[in-house]
Amino acid sequence: MLVHIAARNLSRGWRRSLAVVGSIVIGLAGCMILVGWSRGFAFQMADNAVRSDLATIAIQARGYQANPDPARTLPAPPDEVLALADGRAGVWAAPRLRAEGLVQSARNSSRGAIVGVDPAREPGVSVIAEAIVAGSYLENGTPRGRQLPPVLLGTALAERLRVGLGDKVVLRVPGESGIGAYRVRGLYRTGSSAFDRIHAYVLLEDAMRLLDTPGRVTEIAFFVDRSQDSLALRDQLRAELDLDAFEVLHWSEREPRLAVMIDLMDQMGWILYGFIFVGMAFGIANAILMSVYERMREFGLLRSLGLGSRRLLEMVLLEAVLLTGVGTVLGLVIGWALVTWMGTVGMDLSMFSEGLRRWGIGTTIYPSLTLDDAITPLLLAVGTGLVAGLWPASKAVRLRPAEALRAT
Amino acid sequence: MTKRILETADVTKDYETRTVVTRALDHISFRVESGEFTALAGPSGSGKTTLLNLLGTLDTPTEGQVKIDGIDVSACSERERSELRLRRLGFIFQAYNLVPVLTAAENVEFVLMLQGVSSAERRTRARTVLGDLGLGDLVDTRPTEMSGGQQQRVAVARAIAAEPEIVLADEPTANLDSATAESLLDLMVRMNHERGVTFLFSTHDPRVMKRARRIVQLVDGRIAEDELRDP
Repeated sequence: MLVHIAARNLSRGWRRSLAVVGSIVIGLAGCMILVGWSRGFAFQMADNAVRSDLATIAIQARGYQANPDPARTLPAPPDEVLALADGRAGVWAAPRLRAEGLVQSARNSSRGAIVGVDPAREPGVSVIAEAIVAGSYLENGTPRGRQLPPVLLGTALAERLRVGLGDKVVLRVPGESGIGAYRVRGLYRTGSSAFDRIHAYVLLEDAMRLLDTPGRVTEIAFFVDRSQDSLALRDQLRAELDLDAFEVLHWSEREPRLAVMIDLMDQMGWILYGFIFVGMAFGIANAILMSVYERMREFGLLRSLGLGSRRLLEMVLLEAVLLTGVGTVLGLVIGWALVTWMGTVGMDLSMFSEGLRRWGIGTTIYPSLTLDDAITPLLLAVGTGLVAGLWPASKAVRLRPAEALRAT
Repeated sequence: MTKRILETADVTKDYETRTVVTRALDHISFRVESGEFTALAGPSGSGKTTLLNLLGTLDTPTEGQVKIDGIDVSACSERERSELRLRRLGFIFQAYNLVPVLTAAENVEFVLMLQGVSSAERRTRARTVLGDLGLGDLVDTRPTEMSGGQQQRVAVARAIAAEPEIVLADEPTANLDSATAESLLDLMVRMNHERGVTFLFSTHDPRVMKRARRIVQLVDGRIAEDELRDP
């Protein structure tokens, strides 16, 4: 019956209740949208990084991460390591041979990362094949004759070198045989202009020839579908490999700065929630306090009927929790629905495309939320309601019944 | 057989503001036996409501003792006083008797709920009592939709349903027309006769005083006269 009374009291002052609930709903839904956007940005940054170059997990020779010397190739034939992905649902693997070097055209030159890839496997782990904007992707077994081997350049790198499709470029890497001429077969454009300015892709066999590492690669890149637990897979791979010879690294270990940045964006969401809930607490306390002052005589009556101070406290707190609960549930439902809708259709930010590409973010953001983004605010709301209700509730409890009955 | 159910011993009550101390009750010693139908009479400001509040444990005296059935209320904790009000006392006020967001039946059930009566039983009891008082049609009506007299009768129903030993009523007929006041008094007298409930009410309504078997006159916070009479 106390719940009954609390609920009816809230509906009695429905305008005030509506104002409080409305502010909670708007605040919370807005907060969820911001958190969803923040997650969308973070996810996009991570996804772009993972899907362009980092890979979810990379298996390398021990020491390669600290000193990426192309001579530190995997201490095992690539096929043996690639076989670790076999039979695992949602996991793709591809070999890569990578070296820092110089990319030169007749007009300009630029520092570059030269990556040898297997065109049959690479599309499983990276988006380069999908990101081709001119020409075509690499193909295995292309008859050569006197033709130059193919290379894919990022659009930003091609602009810098002032080359286009069919033009010749020279790749140089440290070492005696480290020079070769290539013909631009395709241009790609990913979500990151910084990435596109650096990377040149060649066939794995051509990279082996350039770096004089026949049959060897510097890493096996794994892409792990979002439905799978990538950290658990990393641990499994670590258990299966000789860790004196191999390193198994999650993308967050290869790019800790990016991981920290994403974590920071997550924390920002909680700071936002914190502000919203502090604001909510004042609003709720104010509304309940006004309601308490208006109902002094009613409280006096209830006390005279034998309602103990503890139950009166419960009743007033219930009102605060109900008010907060209704606002929070509505806010979460509306916020969740809006974020889900935005996440489905995607938010087109192409007008900011250059700025976003500099940050490694695509032009379409897909806001997203986790279950935790809904459960934690719900628990926080109950706590906020209780804390906010304590002040007016203690006022109601401290009243002497006779005094309360005299109140006007 | 009667017992001393209410008692004050040398009770004084002062109300203090920052600058003024007002004495509302001045060394009152007074007893009520069970089954009495007693009126506290006197002009406004004579201390009737203050005395009722002290006897109803709604307030504490500045000096002196208040006892309910031998229990020294001044020595009770707030929780014990709530329990006394819940189990042994019933209240009828001059106005604002009912919880506005509850229906007539729910108002009656409220005290029963606090007493721990099961949901089904309190529903039955509330409807029975309301029916007995001619309020059968108003069980689902909220106080704002009732007349003053109907509200007072619901308050009486609430007091009866809880089966208290003592009913304290503060000017119960003050806002009622003659017919409604008479019918309310009939009801209270019937309760007193049939169930032996002790009634103590403050009033300066001659109709009420006419029905009282004992009239205690208060003047300036003191008992000026204590008269037993045949109504």
